[in-house]
Amino acid sequence: MSGNNLSFYLSFGVVLIYAAFALFAPIIAPFDPFMISGAPLASPDATHLLGTNDLAQDIFSRLIWGTRATLFLGIVGALISVTLGTVIGIVSGYYGGMVDEIIMRFLDVVMTIPFFPLLLVLTIFFRPGIYTSAVLMGILGSIQGVRIIRSQVLSLAVADFVVATKALGARGSYIMARHILPGILPLVGVKFVFSAQHFMLIGIGLGFLGMGDPGVVDWGQMINRASQNGGVILGLWWWLFPPGLAVTFLSLALAWFGYACEDRINPRIQMMRV
Amino acid sequence: MEKVLLDVRGLKVGFPTMDGQVKASDTVDLRIASRETLALLGETGSGKTVLGMAILRLLQPNTIIEGEIRFLDRDLLTIPEKDMRKMRGKEIAIVLQNSGTSLNPVYTVGTQIAEAISLHQGLKKPAALSRAVELLDAVRIPDPDRMAREYPHQFSGGMRERVLIALALACNPSFLIADEPTKGLDSVTRQQILDLFREINQDRAVLFITHDIDAAAALATRVAVMYAGEFAEIGPAAAVLGHPAHPYTRGLLASLPERGMRAIPGSAPSLITLPEGCRFSPRCTSVSERCTLEHPGLVRVGPGHYARCMLYD
Repeated sequence: MSGNNLSFYLSFGVVLIYAAFALFAPIIAPFDPFMISGAPLASPDATHLLGTNDLAQDIFSRLIWGTRATLFLGIVGALISVTLGTVIGIVSGYYGGMVDEIIMRFLDVVMTIPFFPLLLVLTIFFRPGIYTSAVLMGILGSIQGVRIIRSQVLSLAVADFVVATKALGARGSYIMARHILPGILPLVGVKFVFSAQHFMLIGIGLGFLGMGDPGVVDWGQMINRASQNGGVILGLWWWLFPPGLAVTFLSLALAWFGYACEDRINPRIQMMRV
Repeated sequence: MEKVLLDVRGLKVGFPTMDGQVKASDTVDLRIASRETLALLGETGSGKTVLGMAILRLLQPNTIIEGEIRFLDRDLLTIPEKDMRKMRGKEIAIVLQNSGTSLNPVYTVGTQIAEAISLHQGLKKPAALSRAVELLDAVRIPDPDRMAREYPHQFSGGMRERVLIALALACNPSFLIADEPTKGLDSVTRQQILDLFREINQDRAVLFITHDIDAAAALATRVAVMYAGEFAEIGPAAAVLGHPAHPYTRGLLASLPERGMRAIPGSAPSLITLPEGCRFSPRCTSVSERCTLEHPGLVRVGPGHYARCMLYD
């Protein structure tokens, strides 16, 4: 139990630190991330903690600002996907019958198309941008959530207290909002954390492949630039490694946090670990 | 005779399954007058609960329902869902079986009763809550003010049953269906619940579904005995329980502990493949050849007293 609590608070703490960096980026970062701040390809020193890139932009400032875009993609993407997944999952599971059949068969069709290639194509189609990416990931990523939520709702929809509420004359929308949603909220929370981690990584992937938002700094684009414009060949590790390590730690912390949350809502997992 | 409140005609309820249709209710005719208490007796699986759920149209959408359920001159089976919703809780309420799971564990008891009130009456939350406390008091929950703020798991079985009754009475319905409200209660609590029902049934009609024969005798004006989806016998409580006409009713009474606890031989038939002729014939002690060939209808055996048996035909 105490181990679980420790990992819960520790991972949450790490996520909070990242969030603080994102929030206070303008205060923490010494330079504007797009500004020419000195000589290009400078090594780390007191003014440029992580040196500069080929465009003479301060890498440390870019790293701090990059936290914003990366977290934004993860959180907004997860918010959209979890909201969509919850609403569609509840409606599908509660009403069942034809409604459920149509939604499920449609999702089956969409699921046969691989997620990432579809995302790439759609991103190009709608023009790369941070909002486009977040919305697209949110919509495409909601499918799995729909199925998970629906399967939970199926059992809740026939629970005695749901039947009892119906017998009191409540309408479907009321029952779904008041009596079914609270029952799946913990699951939705866990799903949110894992989705955020997943979409954050995908956002990095998009940036690395050159489909990031050209108007913002993100770690994926930083890694891309480092590998394309000489950082790797010249062995400038302070250019390539910081964004890579930053994303690794954040991803680990989120996953860890997700597992700790899952432990809390599902006593059976705790039993298995004992 | 008071005016007829509920008039069920030729009700058939079937559930499609892989092995065939389960005929949970097969041609049930039933009339209940306002302020009358009718006890519906029968074994588990005889179709009692299904009948109650069918009246409120709470069965799964794939259920096959035929016949008519007239309530105050409206056929509940044909009115739009919106109108049906207005009936539920307000005109017809049900106390479901399994008091343990019929309350939502995440809301306080007071909140849930207030919810039932505000679903039909445009009461603001504080007003609905104070009405909820009154209802808890009316069903004899001690210290209702405090108990209204407690969660369902903090209530005992008998208390939860009372809460369910309070919920059902929230909008003062003219017809109450109670599905085995004394199930699983100790004898003192059971007696208290029965006393409560004796009060409740003063100003409304009650369909009291039970297999507690003594409870039926104590409360009901009329008794209907259900077997394999149909009524085996129906009539005034004193007649049906005092001078049972149907061999099944007799068997049921003889199986009571204080009357020798003799079990009826055999077991209830599957509702998918019902026996030919009389459905009770394979277990009946007075069976004749005709019983296995013809399906008997309800025959008058006394004033308002009918039995589905060849003995009287």
